[in-house]
Amino acid sequence: MREGEAFLDIRGAEKSFAGNRVLGGVDFGVNRGEFVSLLGPSGCGKTTLLRIVAGLLDADRGSVRLAGSEIGNLPTHKRGVGVVFQNYALFPHLSVADNVAFGLRAQRRPQADIAPTVAKFLDLVHLTEMAARPVRGLSGGQQQRVAVARALAVAPKLLLLDEPFSALDRKLRETMQIELKRLLRDVGITTVLVTHDQEEALVMSDRVAVMSRGAIEQFDRPDAIYLRPKTPFALGFVGHSTRIVGKAGASSDGTLAIETPVGRFFAAASFMGGAPVLLAIRPERIRINAADADANSLDAKLTELVFQGSKVHLHFTAGDAQTLLVEAAQIPPNLAVGDTARLSWSYSDTLIFPHDGTLQ
Amino acid sequence: MIAALKNRLARMDRIAILAVPALVYMIAIFAIPVAGLLLRSFSGPDGFTLAGYVSFLGDAFNWRVIGNTLRVAAITTLICLAIGYPTAVALSRARGFVQVALLVAIILPLSVGVVVKAFAWQIVLRRDGIVANILVGLGVWDTPQLLLFTETGLVVGAANLFLPFMILPIYSVLKLVDPNIQDAAATLGASPVYRFFKVALPLAMPGIVSGSSIVFSLAVSMYVIPSLLIGDRFQTLATLVGRSFLLMRNEQLGAVTASVLLALALAIVAFSSWAVRRKGDSR
Ligand SMILES: Nc1ncnc2c1ncn2[C@@H]1O[C@H](COP(=O)(O)OP(=O)(O)O)[C@@H](O)[C@H]1O
Ligand SMILES: [Mg+2]
Repeated sequence: MREGEAFLDIRGAEKSFAGNRVLGGVDFGVNRGEFVSLLGPSGCGKTTLLRIVAGLLDADRGSVRLAGSEIGNLPTHKRGVGVVFQNYALFPHLSVADNVAFGLRAQRRPQADIAPTVAKFLDLVHLTEMAARPVRGLSGGQQQRVAVARALAVAPKLLLLDEPFSALDRKLRETMQIELKRLLRDVGITTVLVTHDQEEALVMSDRVAVMSRGAIEQFDRPDAIYLRPKTPFALGFVGHSTRIVGKAGASSDGTLAIETPVGRFFAAASFMGGAPVLLAIRPERIRINAADADANSLDAKLTELVFQGSKVHLHFTAGDAQTLLVEAAQIPPNLAVGDTARLSWSYSDTLIFPHDGTLQ
Repeated sequence: MIAALKNRLARMDRIAILAVPALVYMIAIFAIPVAGLLLRSFSGPDGFTLAGYVSFLGDAFNWRVIGNTLRVAAITTLICLAIGYPTAVALSRARGFVQVALLVAIILPLSVGVVVKAFAWQIVLRRDGIVANILVGLGVWDTPQLLLFTETGLVVGAANLFLPFMILPIYSVLKLVDPNIQDAAATLGASPVYRFFKVALPLAMPGIVSGSSIVFSLAVSMYVIPSLLIGDRFQTLATLVGRSFLLMRNEQLGAVTASVLLALALAIVAFSSWAVRRKGDSR
């Protein structure tokens, strides 16, 4: 492997469909054994990037390297890249066991190895009893497990998962996420998961790449993506936030003053004075009627209270039209809709982004 | 369990009413006449007899006719399959304008009558026709030859006529196959050849079986095409049926020949469908 090269190493991947640019020079690297998610809204180019890695699409430009060698020119069947497709794409004319055995037979693995390997992977996904069944009648969760076992049975160097949970209902999805993560960690395979579901990406991944319009906006650990989003897009796509538009003022000692229509706030940042900025706060970082010194604060009126089981969302309004979202563990006592409260949050929880005049 | 079955039968009963018009029509226009024909083939001056079959099968000429019929039908089916399968694949992958254009090109010729086509082919297949000229030009032939009134000409014409009946059933099966399935096979390490034999072909098989059955049935019983493209020198079972009734006024021979034709066509279509399905199950 070259100096500083990742196990899966994509450099400058570009792709256009009929002049419509879908990937604009993507750099993306995954380490051996790592579980990485590509997270972005539908249509941002996730599947396109995945298909380029698998060799199901040719990139217009750029290189794809796996385990130290260029694979961009290899046909799909010689790449050793396993894929679990969004709709699973099982072979409808084969049984569960024959689906799992398909790759082993196609690669002419020794006949004596096939049955034990199939049995091992069926056991791993708890489908031993289903071995002889046709795949047609299986439930969504069972189909997904067949697809995973089928992909893993040939021991690929890399596993790609394209929205594998999107066909499952919510409850099953959560169970399967945990189960699959454990299984893939035990197998020790390098995995790239494509999803538009932020929770899924945060729960499952070692690192998350947030993608927007054919570019990776931020590639970081899940907690870093949430706590220190690098772009307004990453901020907006992962989790909730309150956003206030303002103008950068004076800064001293690494503390920046921001002038906004609802008051002056401070943040641990530095910025060119006079530049338009977007100020953001995560909802659970805002406290209600707390005696905070050295913190930003404003008065706001409670307009709505949404009970969500383990937590409460409180919607406030300040000034003419500034809304603020606060998340609390329980409904605060002595606070009813229509009351005014003092909201405060620390300087270090105040996120600052350059602002281009639009609010997403 | 039994209650559920009863329920289902009851529901099917009501839906089955929709098939009644077709059923009545087919019984009146197809089943009763064919039964009459079968009866006629077994009836002699003294009631029931096998004499018609004995004399038909005892005649070497008739065996040659059976051979002609089956050979022409089989070759026509194979040509249609060889041309029709790739076309159906292209059709199932095409999108938008290209797909519509292909479909129109396949269906439109059906609206041109058989007789019109047959006479058009006569022009193409003549000794000084386009095909002969091209083959001479390419050096395949030294001198122009007659394609008309040959078995080759007949098979070429029949395949042209029946091609849509091969393409459309295969296409209707392929368009329901998830395109990701081929991709999935590739990611599992299957080469293009392996994918063709182990994935593409088995998934297309229901369409191939029904397309081949339709084309074979049409080709084995075609009457107008052989009459116009070859004429009396080359007899098939269908033209023999026509001759027996119209020319020789031998109703029993006609009925026997028609019954043999019917039995052969049914047996071959049923056997090949069964064989393909059995192979599919044992894999
Ligand atoms: N084969 C194709 N031909 C034309 N446009 C395509 C093709 N595949 C994808 N696209 C377009 O590229 C964009 C990205 O698609 P995709 O990678 O599937 O997004 P995602 O998986 O993130 O939802 C979409 O706008 C889609 O319409
Ligand atoms: Mg997608």
